[in-house]
Amino acid sequence: MIQLKDLDKYIESRFQRIFILKGINLTINEGEFITLMGPSGAGKSSLLNILGLLDEDYAGEYSFGGKDIKSMKDKERSSLHKSEFGYIFQAYHLIDELTVYENIETPLLYRNVSSAERKSIIADLLDRFNMVAKKDLFPAQLSGGQQQLVGVARAIAGRPRVLLADEPTGNLHSGQAREIMEVFQELHKEGTTIIQATHARENADFGTRLINLIDGRIEKDEVIIQK
Amino acid sequence: MWKNYLKVSFRNLQKRKLYTGINLLGLTIAIVSFIAISLYIHHEWSYDRMYTGYDRIYKINQEFISEGQNQMVGTTPSSLVPTLMEEFPEVENGTLVFDLSIFSSVMVDAGEGNQEESRFAFVDENFYQVFDFEILAGNKAALLSEPNQLVLTESTAKRYFGSAKNAEGKLLKVDGKDYTVTGVMEDFPSNSHLEFDFLASFKTHRHGTNPEWSPSNYYSYAKLKPGADPDAFEAKLPQMVEKHLGEMQEEYGFKTAFYTQPVSGIHLGDKTLGSIKPGTDIKYLYIFGLVAILLIAIGVINYVNLATAEATERNKEVGLRKVMGADRGQLFGQFVSESMILTFGAAVLSLLVIYLLAPQFAGFGGVPLNLGLLFSPTGIGLLIGLMALIGLMAGFYPSLILSGMEPIKALGNKVKIGGGAWVRKSLVVFQFFVSIGLLIATLVVKSQLNYVQEVNLGYQREQVVALSYHYNMRENIGTVKGEMLRSGAAESISLAADMPIFIKASYSIFPGGDNSKEFMITGYSVDKDLVKTIGLELLAGNDFSEKDISRTQGYDSKTSYPILLNEAALKEMGWTPEEAVGKTVNHGGDLVLVKGVIKNFYFNSLHHQVGPLAIFIDPGQANVLLVKIPAGNPANHLATLEATWKKLIPDRPFNYKFIDQEYAQLYQSEVRVGAIFGLFSGIAIFIACMGLFGLVSYVALRRTREISIRKVLGATQKDVIGVLASDFFKLLGVASVLAIGFGIWFSETWLSGYANRTSLGIWPYMIAILAVMTLAAVTIGYRSWKVFSLNPSKTLKSE
Repeated sequence: MIQLKDLDKYIESRFQRIFILKGINLTINEGEFITLMGPSGAGKSSLLNILGLLDEDYAGEYSFGGKDIKSMKDKERSSLHKSEFGYIFQAYHLIDELTVYENIETPLLYRNVSSAERKSIIADLLDRFNMVAKKDLFPAQLSGGQQQLVGVARAIAGRPRVLLADEPTGNLHSGQAREIMEVFQELHKEGTTIIQATHARENADFGTRLINLIDGRIEKDEVIIQK
Repeated sequence: MWKNYLKVSFRNLQKRKLYTGINLLGLTIAIVSFIAISLYIHHEWSYDRMYTGYDRIYKINQEFISEGQNQMVGTTPSSLVPTLMEEFPEVENGTLVFDLSIFSSVMVDAGEGNQEESRFAFVDENFYQVFDFEILAGNKAALLSEPNQLVLTESTAKRYFGSAKNAEGKLLKVDGKDYTVTGVMEDFPSNSHLEFDFLASFKTHRHGTNPEWSPSNYYSYAKLKPGADPDAFEAKLPQMVEKHLGEMQEEYGFKTAFYTQPVSGIHLGDKTLGSIKPGTDIKYLYIFGLVAILLIAIGVINYVNLATAEATERNKEVGLRKVMGADRGQLFGQFVSESMILTFGAAVLSLLVIYLLAPQFAGFGGVPLNLGLLFSPTGIGLLIGLMALIGLMAGFYPSLILSGMEPIKALGNKVKIGGGAWVRKSLVVFQFFVSIGLLIATLVVKSQLNYVQEVNLGYQREQVVALSYHYNMRENIGTVKGEMLRSGAAESISLAADMPIFIKASYSIFPGGDNSKEFMITGYSVDKDLVKTIGLELLAGNDFSEKDISRTQGYDSKTSYPILLNEAALKEMGWTPEEAVGKTVNHGGDLVLVKGVIKNFYFNSLHHQVGPLAIFIDPGQANVLLVKIPAGNPANHLATLEATWKKLIPDRPFNYKFIDQEYAQLYQSEVRVGAIFGLFSGIAIFIACMGLFGLVSYVALRRTREISIRKVLGATQKDVIGVLASDFFKLLGVASVLAIGFGIWFSETWLSGYANRTSLGIWPYMIAILAVMTLAAVTIGYRSWKVFSLNPSKTLKSE
């Protein structure tokens, strides 16, 4: 589904190019659950941003479903971005001024989903994550784990085929982290392609493939055998 | 979608209470000012547009042409209207108004004693056909068609008879003559150039049945037939003059011409001498309109500056929304809806403020605010349109900036909204240019007004009161004067045609026997004690004496009829004061003797130079009794004067005016402009400083880290303020330079209207710039202090 060919990302400074990603060749098939690992500054987040069409400042080829991203028109790219990707962040990044319900609703609004449909989608998600009672609370009133659950619910509300998660458990303690990972596993079983960046090796065990990044290069690419 | 926009916008506004408050306040003040000014302008513009077919109604003005001096007057002979109606087929109707108040007030008695009334006019029977005011009682078709009939306005009817209905058919004695009230009309609207309390049938007047071509004391109006060409009509008027006035012009050696003036143009375009109601210079309307737009602009700029300041705090939200699929249009919609909510909130508040403060505004602006117009569908519609425009203008630029942010950078808190810095800078320069400029303008207007109030007019204004005098009092005026002087409440008393502040009567004059030197001179008819009463300075010759009074009584000894001339008159004649004394001059057709020469004094507003003036004895023309009262407690002296008056002239009310107060009245419109400028420059500065506060906040936030590092490195508070303030003071400097340019232009323009003007120097500029700079410094200092007092360990960690 996703193919990267000789992908470089660098910052031009006065005397030299500083590479953030260098010579990335990567093929991701539909239904994979990939974990990106590596030390800080290895380029995990940069790779996720490029995959999620949030960053267009790179060299090399990126094709999605056989189509080259760079040759797409802005509108096409923006609709691909809307329909295919969901995002989860380390710092949850919920909108503070919106309630749980409204946070989950936001991506649906931007996709012009009808009001009745929105209600049913959100009701299902709230039910699934056991948050029905908390739907009118604001993010500040929730624990970190709960906030991240809302983040996940929001990311999958638009039924994306690819879920991108940047350190989704980085701010959580182990119990909460585990809960989130189980949700990911479930989503994976339902057919969602998941790409997560993490520092925690144990999270990789929930996935199907582990990619190690060091200094912007792919160091190791291995298949994880599910226990 | 919109519901969501609104909800989010509301919560955002609620969360940022300070910004919301500043914006709401700024916009509300700007909108209130805008609405008030708009209503004022509309009121002035709407003058005389309420009559049916108003665009076909013309007032006829008359021009007197004498050598080198043409004078346009608003009054015409009584024969004009009948002639127009008879000889011009395109004239549908015509009417004549004789405003008696130019000559004197009248005494009205409804059986309960005399009351002095000044808004009394004679009008012919066509008046209500041309000016279709509402008739509340009486037969409209036949109103004022017979002699000794009277129409009262509603409030006059209420004053005398309790109600309009009661008034009909009642008798009123006016100056001893019986009139029957045959009708009651609505009060003259505040936007009509006509304004009277009593309208009497012109047939009562001698000219009503025998119109003549002289004198020119009557306002004439012609209503043309639909489709008639007013220019063609005007072009035919000289033929009429030739036909009816040709002989007279030949005989007396003068020329005259008639011109049409649309009735709706009278209020804003009146350049004639003598009008029923003082007009408004259209220049003021342009100035006020400009000020209104500038205030709105300052309010909008504030919003723009504050909203971009907010942008740094909102980048995370924007980034997130983009990640979640918001496109630029959708974000734009959200931010514009925020500015719309704010604008409409401000509009609602403004309407409330206007509603509550309407009486204050009316007092301030001198005209009633037409709230009915504001709250009419048109008014509300216009307001909504205006608010939408303001909301869009205010929201456009910030929305553009916010929605254009790149999501990852926004999420990473690495936002730099550096682009378009020149836009913000220009906006600040503009705001302060307007603020300083308005303040300079205020100071220019005020300093000229101060000059006008304090200038030595050449006579004594203080301690002089004018009592209203009527010809009927001539029998016992001698006794009155004697009693008043004896009572100690008067030091000197003189009868005069008018108060010395504004003398209008005009005569021709030339040195005896040499009519090639004829020129126009203002004539002031008084009795013998004027020089003493108002403290004029005699340069040569002698003041009038008791004997002069008796000399002027008989017509046989005209050559010894004494007059006093001023220096300006002598300049025209080419005489020195010493030469002039004892010369004979031809004054208004009579040979008279120059008895003395007085120093020039201002007998007109300072807009004009002192012209030639002749003072002569003619108590018959007197309208006022000028009384110089002793220094100290004027109330006591007035009480004594009133007691004397009541004893000797019980049938006439005791009315007095202080000369200095009346003098101040001459500059009423300037005082009003000064006050309005003062108020609005204050408002502009206030709003602009709030905007500056927002902008400094923005910069301070952006530079928090830099400031913290400086502080760690040992910077003092002064250094930090210096860092933040220097950029802004550069902008203020630019604004000041521009404002000085504007100020120079403005003072030239404004003061060019005065023949006698103050010398300004640089102090208005200094004061204005210093005042605004100080306020700006306080604003910047306060905000910088807040940033400085942050704990650097916290601010640095957040990076």
